Formats: sequence, structure tokens, C-alpha cells
Amino acid sequence: MIGFVSRRLATALVQLVGLALVVFFAIRLLPADPVARLVGLNASRDAYLTAQRSLGLDRPVAEQFGSYLGVLPGSSGLLQGDFGRSWVTGDPVAQEIGRVLPITLELITVSFVLAFLVSVPLGMICAIRPGGAADRATFAYSLFAGSQPEFWWGLLFIFVFFAELGWAPAPLGRLDPMSTPPAVVTGFITVDSLLAGNMAAFRDGVHHLMLPVLTKVFVLSGPIVKMVRQNMVRVMASDYVLFAQASGLTPGRIARIALKNALAPALTLLGVLYGYILGGAVLIETVFSLGGIGSYAVRSVLAFDYPAIQAVVLVIAAVSLLVYLVLDLLHAALDPRLVG
Amino acid sequence: MPGDALLSVRGLTVAFNGVAAVSDLDLDVMPGEILGLTGDSGAGKSTLGLALLGLTRPPGRILRGRAVLEGTDLLALPEAARRRLRGRRIGLIVQSPRGALSPLHTIGAQIGGVLRAHLPLSRPEAAARSVGLLRRLGLNDPERRAGAYPHEISGGMAQRVLIAMAVGAGPRLLVADEPTSGLDVTIQAAFLDELAATARAAGSAVLLMTQDLGIIANYCDRVAVMQGGRIVAEGATRAFFAAPADDYSRTLLSLRQAAPPPAPAEAAPLLRVTGLCKRFRLRGSGKTLQAVNRVDLAIARGETLGLVGESGSGKTTVGRLLLRLLEPDGGEILFEGRDLARLPPGELRRTRRRVQIVFQDPQDALDPRWTAAEILGEALERRDPARVAELLALVGLEPGDAARRPRGLSAGAQQRLSIARAIAADPALIVLDEPTSALTPLARVGIVRLLRDIQARLGTSYLFISHDLNTVEQLSHRVAVMYLGQIVEQGTREQVFRAPRHPYARALLAAHLAPDPSRRRLDRPPAAALEGEIPSPVDLPRGCYLAGRCPEARPDCRSTPQRLLGLPDGREIRCLPEAERAGVLPDPIPA
Amino acid sequence: MSDAPAVEAALTARDLRDGAAAPVPDRLFRLGAATVALSLVLMVVGPWITPYDVGRPTDDIAVPPPSLAEVPGLLWAVLTGRPHEPVYWFGTDASGLDIFSRVLAAPRADVAIAVGANLVSLALGSLLGLLAGTARPWLAGLVMRLSDLVQAFPVFITGMILVTLAGRSPTTIVLTLALLYTPIYIRLTRAEVLTQRGRGFVDASRALGKREAWIALRHVLPNALVPAMIQASVTVGFAILMTAGLSFVGAGVRPPTPEWGLMIAAGADGIVQGEWWPSLFPGLAISITVFGYAAFGNGLERRHAR
Repeated sequence: MIGFVSRRLATALVQLVGLALVVFFAIRLLPADPVARLVGLNASRDAYLTAQRSLGLDRPVAEQFGSYLGVLPGSSGLLQGDFGRSWVTGDPVAQEIGRVLPITLELITVSFVLAFLVSVPLGMICAIRPGGAADRATFAYSLFAGSQPEFWWGLLFIFVFFAELGWAPAPLGRLDPMSTPPAVVTGFITVDSLLAGNMAAFRDGVHHLMLPVLTKVFVLSGPIVKMVRQNMVRVMASDYVLFAQASGLTPGRIARIALKNALAPALTLLGVLYGYILGGAVLIETVFSLGGIGSYAVRSVLAFDYPAIQAVVLVIAAVSLLVYLVLDLLHAALDPRLVG
Repeated sequence: MPGDALLSVRGLTVAFNGVAAVSDLDLDVMPGEILGLTGDSGAGKSTLGLALLGLTRPPGRILRGRAVLEGTDLLALPEAARRRLRGRRIGLIVQSPRGALSPLHTIGAQIGGVLRAHLPLSRPEAAARSVGLLRRLGLNDPERRAGAYPHEISGGMAQRVLIAMAVGAGPRLLVADEPTSGLDVTIQAAFLDELAATARAAGSAVLLMTQDLGIIANYCDRVAVMQGGRIVAEGATRAFFAAPADDYSRTLLSLRQAAPPPAPAEAAPLLRVTGLCKRFRLRGSGKTLQAVNRVDLAIARGETLGLVGESGSGKTTVGRLLLRLLEPDGGEILFEGRDLARLPPGELRRTRRRVQIVFQDPQDALDPRWTAAEILGEALERRDPARVAELLALVGLEPGDAARRPRGLSAGAQQRLSIARAIAADPALIVLDEPTSALTPLARVGIVRLLRDIQARLGTSYLFISHDLNTVEQLSHRVAVMYLGQIVEQGTREQVFRAPRHPYARALLAAHLAPDPSRRRLDRPPAAALEGEIPSPVDLPRGCYLAGRCPEARPDCRSTPQRLLGLPDGREIRCLPEAERAGVLPDPIPA
Repeated sequence: MSDAPAVEAALTARDLRDGAAAPVPDRLFRLGAATVALSLVLMVVGPWITPYDVGRPTDDIAVPPPSLAEVPGLLWAVLTGRPHEPVYWFGTDASGLDIFSRVLAAPRADVAIAVGANLVSLALGSLLGLLAGTARPWLAGLVMRLSDLVQAFPVFITGMILVTLAGRSPTTIVLTLALLYTPIYIRLTRAEVLTQRGRGFVDASRALGKREAWIALRHVLPNALVPAMIQASVTVGFAILMTAGLSFVGAGVRPPTPEWGLMIAAGADGIVQGEWWPSLFPGLAISITVFGYAAFGNGLERRHAR
């Protein structure tokens, strides 16, 4: 088991190093001029050169890379856990990401867990009678949900639940401007407000989470239902389920056996899916003006803020790899055939 | 008589989307008997078996009928009540023993779960009983084994666990649906022995559903034949085999009575293989697997050599080495005067057409995107519709099949097409790698007839590789038995089938279930069975590979590498003690 | 969801292998096929058949679409050629552009980009996949490691970065999406090449004296391409979602190109005030089109599964 874990960790680490390398050079190879973007097109030649020097873009690329990594004497970089300073705000990127990442993780994780809880029973219903009416209807639903533009559905929900019915709060952030945010501990509003005993902030936080989560759960349920269904259909056709039925086991006990066998292999794919959702959080954050890492990424990209761009890619990739790893290990813990 | 029946089925009809798979079927099972139910694929056997347990799978539905087990109509019961009877009054043995156990749950938990479904036991009590049951099955360290997962126990052990679970609550009737399909001969016999013995001891009746008439002849008291969802013949086993009442069984048994294939004229061997070796390097561990080990064999023109052995014996690898689909690590393959093992690639491509191969799975062996005519055209030197038509006729396909793709043909027809493709190249030798194993019994009969017919007409030689001893007996002139990459016995068909001499060949033939009730395995005293299971072909011992399992092993068997020794009657065996008994004193092995 | 093609691909490959295919009803499959066909037709002719100029605003600002009750009458008037006043089927937006015309013209951007990206990645991915399935281990390993590296990038964010820094032209979007989707096709093709190479008909062909290159081209590649082609029809749908998503956040094609994502973004502010139509119709177009591609692809998968 330890060998298994360390092998996976080593692979993930190698990938991150490759990622850091590729991101750094790729954005410098592309025909974009961050200096011009920063100082404006009408800036004087002197102002341009000054800005270029202050960003360090006048130095050779190899030297820039060295200082990005933190291997040059006196510089601090990736090796020291330093992503550099934002070219736009001048603040340390690590600090900025520390502020925005929890907002995204909270939204994505809550949605992911809820989508999973909704999808598993749906997938199981399909497997009771494969090819039957319930199966076809549920499958058509999952196909539909899995192919929808989530940003548009977010807007529709805003129109219905905010503009028309008035049930949801205005899509303008994580909390009402009037309510006092809890002291930052984890960065997750719901958790922090509970920790602070601030029930008003907790309710407000949940209220603001309602529509984005609804949107995400809807589109996420598509692939998860399909996955659970395919696994469940396979398992229900297996000899061990037949034998369990023939041995007179209760339907509940058979369902538990089948579920374990169907969900264990789904964990790896769920890990992949989580990574994709995390990278795609931009859209939902834009719709609901949530200042998560997605919005941060849009802002950085549009401003050609290279240090922030590099950091966003690395952080999202690292979190995705970590989640994937954890789910992979969970799979291995459930399925003794994978280890040893 | 129906009054005494344990189970009496009347008018049972099961339909899938309006098409009846079982129609208006009547059947009685007597207390304590083993009733064999046979019939071709699609006859409705499995559907019947599952319907008896109320486990018809969607979209199948039981339309009408009764199945009265000891006075209770199983089909009229509500599902909850029927569930309580399952396992307790009527049990099921499914196809693969290991497949019947959930791979993610421990053995102990699964046994405990079944026990708790019928007995008022607490979790710890059930766990204790599971361990006790494993102990009775003869497992050492049953406490630890109870915590093992199915992939951690041997196949033989999985079988015994499965039977013990099915019989655990003492059901009066066991339904066994092809319980040994895909198992090797010796394992199949061991499983059925255990099943029969356990059922006898518990006084349970068994409804044994199988396509294999050999199993029926050896284990069943009575036989019923199913066709198109109905019982078409029924009777006591001996009477049935003496004079089968239905066409299906008559067709299957016709080959049994057919004369053995005529012996070909003596000639210089077409193929002579000496010292053929193949090793595979295992990924990860870096160990090597000796798949084929110093194999010698010869095939004459127009002759069939049957190559038999259990899975992992290396028989398929031998077939592939002959065509150099795999590169041999050593040895000579003399074919029509040339050593195929040493031909350069270009020349090999030209010569190889004289040796063709037919595979086990015809669907895999035919490109799904090509029509039959295109498939045959690939084998011909140039496009020739007349020749294509001729080949199709030769293998008994319709002219209209030329435009069909493989998926439009039945498995039997696919295999005929595969054979036609091999013949199109005008080969002197065809390697037949389990060509009948993926087919239904009826299709198998057709292919055996076709192969005999082609040999008689064209004088083609065959290397017939199979684990199905019945088919080998029907086709072969000579037979070679392989064990762990070596040929352990080679002789004429009569020598090997009537009086095998090598201990492994003896064990293999003893486990052979011939469709002949005169020498039933049930009535025979248990032959000298080999202990344990086939070891892995990695890290083989220096001496005889069988020594660890052989009841007659001598100390020198373990230390001396065995060679294939010729006996006075013309056969060859790889067993020093047995050769000495036959009066052969081998030359001293050069140091 | 904008970015599950890799998950989708993994499911497709497995389902094709063991035949536990998706239960796509025939009717849904045919509807999907019709949608795909319509989207391709509009990709070609869309901009030529619009009732109004897609770039020149009309005098009518933010006109809501006709109510359902009015539609038959208006339809009759238009068909007989005598409408009393201009008809805006989907209404007009805040700058007076006719939404119906722009929805019709948008496939020239969305569908063309998505199809183009998939053609490039299908061609590149299947060739590299064939290479990875047949080449020497070191070369195959190199291809796969590079493919893994590309897959480790967060798809949407990387798309945003590459497209924005490279100038936000349709060509850069095509190339960016092609790069991001290529690993999917490499994986699918390689796995399939490895499977097909071990099949009986390949060995039978060898036994008949055929050359390896002949076998690879005649037997292995045609069979190995099938899952990739099926996957392509699903992935085109995802590429449409991504193209629209990129422009929705301002990192895709530039306004005033008629493009569904841009149109939704332009109407987003009005939603809160109850002006639903500028965003509704382009979104509906995406919703139907992508669902159509998914139904078509999954239906093909079912038809092909053994």
C-alpha cells in the first residue's frame, strides 16, 4: 500500500513539474504583449521600458525562469512556495489565491457531493430493468443534463427564482453586502460562520449558494447518472448478484453488495470529473459574481498577469491531482485486487 | 408418479417481449435424483432454471404455469415468501464458481450473509459458523481464510465454498446451470464429484442443466431434452443413451457411433518439430514463464494430431509457434523440407501460406467490416468470384452468404467461413486451435463432420488443439498430451484414450466424461486423482514437473529432468518409472 | 457542463468493449441525427438566410418576441408576404439587433469551430494513437507521457489562457481546442489499436503472408478508428459548449460576431430586470444542438456495440 501511494505521488509530482515548465514557456511563446496591456497602447517608449524592467521582462528568458523557480541567488520562487507578485495588484499571488480558492472549493465540493447523492438512486433505478421505460427516461435525462450550457441555466434560474419568484438572493456574490462575514478560518463561508456561531451569516451563505449549487448539481448529475447506471447494470447482471438472490438474501442486502461493486470502480472517474469541474468553475462564478479562483483566472488572463496565470494553472492542477489521488486510494481500499 | 415428485412443473410458459422461451412445459423431479436437462443453446434451459426460483430477468415474464415444490406452488407465492424459500428449499449453482462470489467482500462475510438469511443468527454467531464451515471443507487456518477475498483463494477452493453455501441451508432441490462451462477437464470432474456427493449426503435432488452429454451420462439418473422451450424427450439415462428418442440427441450422439477417421497412408512426415521452446518474460517481476519446453512432434500427410492439455499447458502457444505468429526461442520446425524457424521474413511470408490456422472464436477471427467474399478474397492470390463460390460450397455455406458480413452469420457459419479462408490458401497443414469450443453442440457436430470431409477430399493434415477430449477422439489419428509446456505422452488415439501410461495422462483421461453410461464416473471407484492444482509455469522444478502431485513419484523423479522416451508399442512418454515398467532402460543422461 | 469529454471518452471506450451500451431510444437517436444535420447545414448557409442583417441594428430596441398566440397570424402574414410591421421572431436585443437572425448565423462560428477542432484533433490523435500502439516502447511511451501532460492541464482555464494570449481569433480557438482534445483521441485509438492487433483476423492475415504495414492499414486502423469517430460526435457537442463558454467570459471570439455565448453574455444583465429573451434563445440553440450531438453519438455507440 505504501509503495502504491508513493508511486502515485511521484507521478503526480513529475506532472506538476512538467506543468510548471510548460505553462511558463507557453505563455511567453504566445504573441501577447503584457507590457503594452499594462501601460496602455499610447504610453511613451520610456514608460514602456520602465514597466518592462519592473516586470523583469527585459531579462533573458532563462533568467526569468530561474527566478520563477527560485534557484537564482537571492530570489524566492516556486521552490520556496512563492508564486511571485501579481503584476496588476502588486500583492503576493499566493495570498490572493488563498483568499479565492476556498470559495470555489466550497461551491464545487458541495455540488459534487449533492450531485452524487442525487445520481446514485437515479442510476440504480435504471439498473432495475435495463432498457425499460424508467431506464430510458432516466438515461435521456442524464444525456440532456450532461450536455447543457451551465452558464445559461444559471441565468434561467436567476430569472425564475430571483427576478420572478424572489426566492433567491441577487446573484451578486457569496454574501449579502449588509451581512457581516465571519472571521476567516478555513475560507469556507459556511464552515467559518458555524465556527464563529454566526447563524445569520450561515443562513445567508447557504442562501447565496442555493442557485449556483442547483445549477451545478443539474449539469453534474448527467455524467454521474450515466456512470452509476452503466456500472450498476453490469453488476446486476453478474453471477454473484444472481447467486445472492438465489440464496434468499434480502433485496436490501443485495443492493448493498451491488452498490459497493458498482461504486468502487466509479471513484476513479469521479476523480477525473472533479478536476474538470474545478477547472470549469469560471462559468458559474461569472454568472453569480462569486469571486472564486475561476473569476480570479478570468481577471488574470484578460490582464495578461503572468505570475497569477501560472499560479492558477498549477494550483488547480495540484488540487485536481490530489483529489484524484485520494479517490484512487479510496478505490484501492475498497477493492483489494488493486493492491499487491 | 407425479404424486411422488419433489418438484412438479406444469404448463410453465415464460416469454421475452412476447416471444416464448419456455412454452407450456411439464417436468417432474423426483426426490434425491440427479436429473440432467440438456438441449442446444437457446433451448430455454437457463430461462426454465431461473423461472423455478422466481428470478426471471427482465424483460422476461412468467405468463402461466405451476411449479409445485413439496406441495407449495413457487410461482403463486408472493415474492417475499418465495425469497425465504430460496436457498432453504431450492438453491442455485451458477456458472463460474469464482464469479458467484462478490470480489469486494470477504469469503466469511459472504457465507455469513447467506446463513443469516435463513437462520436467526447474530453477526458474530454467523461469523463463527462460517469459520466452522470452512474448517469442515478442509481448509487449514479457516479463521484467516474467512477474512480472505475471493481472488485470494484457489479456484478449487472457491468451488467448494460455493457448493457448501448452496447446500448450507439444506435445500431439497438444487438447480445447477452449466456449473462447469469453461472449466478444465480435471477441475470439472472434481466439481461434479463434489456436487453429486454433497447432494447425495444431504438428500437433495439436483436439476443439472448442461449441453455436455458426457456430464449427463456420467452423473445423471434421468435425462430430459429441451428444444424450442419444450421437453422433447425424457427417460432413464441408460435407456436414453441406448436409443435417443429425439433428433437433437441422435445428431449429437451420431458421431459417437461413427467409425474413427480412416488412417492415412504411411508417408514421410509433412512436419517434424524438434526441441521447440518458448519463454515469456513476465512484466514487473522479471521472471520467465516457460510456455513451451522442448516439444517434439511429427505430423504425416493427411493425418490429424490431437494436442490436448488443460489451460496453461502451452498447447495454443505450440500452434502459434508453428506459423511463427510467435517467435520460437529454440528448436526446429521442418516443414516440406524447410526449417520454418529459420526462414528470413520475406521467404517466411511466402512459405507460411502452406500452413494455415483456424481460431477458437470465429467472430474474433473475421474482420467485422469485411464481407465473406472479401475475407476469402484476402486469402486468394487474385480476385476470383468462381473460386469464392466454390469455397463457400465446400464448407457448406450458401452462395448468398458471399455478400454477408460476419455479424450476419451464425457462429457455426462464421467458423465455416474461417475454415474456408484457411483452405483458400491451399495449405498442406491447418492448425485448428479449439475450433469447436465456442460453438453450440449442434454446430460442433457440423464442424467435426466438415473437417473430416475436407481431410478426406483434400488430404490436408491437421494439428487439432483442444481441451475437449470427445472432439479430439472423433478427429485424431494420433494424440499428444501436454502438461506445463511439455509433451508427456504421445501415441495413437487408441493407446492414449484406452490405456494412457503417463500419470498425468491417466488422470486427465480418468476425468474425461465420455457420453457413454456404461462406465459412469459415479459408479467407478475414484481413480488415482492428482493432488492439488496445476502449478504456475514460473519457477518450475528441476525434475519431473508432475512430481509434486504424482502419487507414484520416486525421490529421483524430483531431481532428474525427464525426457520423452519411446516405448516398444510406438508411443512416447515422459516418465522414467513408467518407462522402466514397460521395459525401457534409457541411455544415461550426458552430464 | 463544459468539460467532461475525457470522462465521456472513458465511458464510451468501456461500453464499446463490453457492449453494455446506452439505452438511447431510436426516436431520440433520429432526432439527434436531424439536429446534427441541421447544425451542419446552418454552419454553411446560416448567415445567408437571415431575415435581417446580423451586424446592423434595427430601429426597434429591446422588442420582446411575439406571444405564442400571435405566432400563427404572423406566420401567415410572412408567408403571404404582407406583414404590417417588421417581425422579430425572437425579439431584438438592447442595441436593436434581431435575435432570430443572429441565432441562425451563429453556427458559422460555434459549429464550425467545434467541428474544425475535432477534425484536427481526430486526425492528429488517431495518427499519434496508431504510433503509440505500434511503435517501439520508448517512442510510444514518449507519446503517452506528452499526452498525459496535456491532460493534466485544467481544460477550460488553459483554453482561456491560450485563446486570449494568442489573440482570440476563430483559428486560435480551433487550434487550442484541438490541442486540448487530442489526448482523448490518442488514448482511444491507442487502446483500440492494441486490442485490434491481438485479434484473430490480424493473425490470420499474417498467416496468409500479408505485410505488417498492409495489415495495419487494412485491418487495424479502420477498426480502431470506429470508437474515435463515435467519440467525435459527442466531443463536437462539448466543443460547442466550450466555444460559447469562452466567449461568455470574454475569452473567446470578439463581438460583434454572431455567436451564441456572446449573445447570452450580452443579455445576462437584462435577465435581472426581467428581459429574458436576449439570452433565452441563443441558450436554447446551444441546449438543443449539444443535446442532439450527445444523443446522436450515444445512439451510434449503441448501434455499434456488439
